[in-house]
Amino acid sequence: MRGTQPAYGMLAAFVVAAPVLVGIAYCAAGVLGLLGDTAGGSVNWSVLADAATWRSVGWSFWAAGASTFLALVGAVAVAALCRSTRSSDRAARALAVLPLPIPHIVAALVGLLVLAQSGLLARIAYSLGVVGAPAEVPVLVYDGLGVGFILTMAAKEIPFLALIAISLAGGDLRPVEESARTLGASPAELFRRITLPLLLRGMMPATVAVFVFVFGSYEVAAMLGPTAPAPLPVLITESYAGASLERRTEAYLLSLLALLIACVAVAAHELLRRDMFRRLPG
Amino acid sequence: MIPRPETGSAARALLLLLLFLLAAGPLLLLLLLSFGEGWFWPALLPAEFSGSAWGSLASGASGTRLLRAALNSLLLGLSTGLLASLLALPLGRQLARLTGWRRMVGSAAAFLPVAAPPVTLGVGLNYTFLVSGLGGSFIGVLLAHLIPALGYTCLFFMGYFEVYDDRLDEAALTLGASRAQLFRPVTLPLLRRPLLEAALLGFLISWAQVPLTLLIGQGLVSTLPLELLSYVNAGQDRFAAAGAIILTLPALLTLAVAGLAIKRTGAVVA
Repeated sequence: MRGTQPAYGMLAAFVVAAPVLVGIAYCAAGVLGLLGDTAGGSVNWSVLADAATWRSVGWSFWAAGASTFLALVGAVAVAALCRSTRSSDRAARALAVLPLPIPHIVAALVGLLVLAQSGLLARIAYSLGVVGAPAEVPVLVYDGLGVGFILTMAAKEIPFLALIAISLAGGDLRPVEESARTLGASPAELFRRITLPLLLRGMMPATVAVFVFVFGSYEVAAMLGPTAPAPLPVLITESYAGASLERRTEAYLLSLLALLIACVAVAAHELLRRDMFRRLPG
Repeated sequence: MIPRPETGSAARALLLLLLFLLAAGPLLLLLLLSFGEGWFWPALLPAEFSGSAWGSLASGASGTRLLRAALNSLLLGLSTGLLASLLALPLGRQLARLTGWRRMVGSAAAFLPVAAPPVTLGVGLNYTFLVSGLGGSFIGVLLAHLIPALGYTCLFFMGYFEVYDDRLDEAALTLGASRAQLFRPVTLPLLRRPLLEAALLGFLISWAQVPLTLLIGQGLVSTLPLELLSYVNAGQDRFAAAGAIILTLPALLTLAVAGLAIKRTGAVVA
């Protein structure tokens, strides 16, 4: 049956992707001033020459990279350390995945309540005598480094990455580890040279997916991110809602930029998936 | 049994504690805040408890607003889930049949609506929605939610049909059944479970959606996440906490029913 009618499959691919392609086309038309809701005239590329734009892009890359890295470490820790059928390990695996469907906006609210200067963490620090007043608490939300955003997003994305890691550790990795053990690998060697590299390689597509998702996500960035540089998705909405038509052109241009980055991530995701299926046995 | 690397039981206990805090902490904190009274710095716990925030949230004008938002969210979620799963079933099946480079294109196409930042979709499609009269309407928001939801559900069905055993179909065909005869007794019972899982997945995508609702709905279509956002912006923390609980519980319930179907999509949820 497989591969008999590729035309239908390609049509299906087009149907799913069409709204995004239309969106890209409209953004391009908006940049060129063809939509009638912008200033029109000559194309205004100045936003690309603006250092603030690239600070926003840079911030979003940094914050998405850092939170993806932390989430990956957390997920790998759960999958590698809690593999047995012992009840504590089973509990750890279940707990790791449980927060998966918590909406981002709820995660952002909880992040705010925990990390704000008079938040739960600051109160715990006060009760331990570490700080005396909210003003002495380090700023963890709306901060330039994006600590609050990064921690909240990392916590939000651990469940998904843990789900993938646990499934790899419980399935595809087992036969390879078994052969390595038969060939005389010590437990430490087995972990360092087989389990960890294979786990990481198997998780690469999901990791890229998490990165691009965090990069483009709006709610947590709007609620916990800094005002300057504004996270890229926030900058886009602010430009779009801005009063002047010039700013709307900027929003189209910035959207195109973000969509381009997303397309690169999609391509990387597919290439990594192909490699994973080639190299991972089972 | 694979031997585990030597790791301290202290590290594992710490990990378990951390996971417990991440799983139970948020809901616990929201419950404390929404039922708590006079929770001022530097108190670790509210001074007293009452249902007053829930009471004033549910009564009068704010109650009507919240109810409308909840109904909108529920209707949007259910229709998005239903439409996405019904559309993704044939699409995902065709995509799963692709091989070689076409396979990569198909998989990339399904991943694209998931990876595209929702704000860029909102910005790119707003003009089309406005011109076609769908901007600021329920149907418009529904169609917008359907875009990422269809991506997720197509990935889900691609994964499903990769391991789908069509020998049952083939056996029935060999015995002389037609495709149409096959559908009710063989194909449908097999697909009932994945259809339900895909619908719940689509429900979750719509239920938590913020940027597409904001941009395409233009503030005219209220949903629970948008109500929550306005409580946060107004500094009404206790209302926000209550709203967050209302938003989270159905999502957790949905995951429990859907099992871990999300694994098949290979992409992040909501």
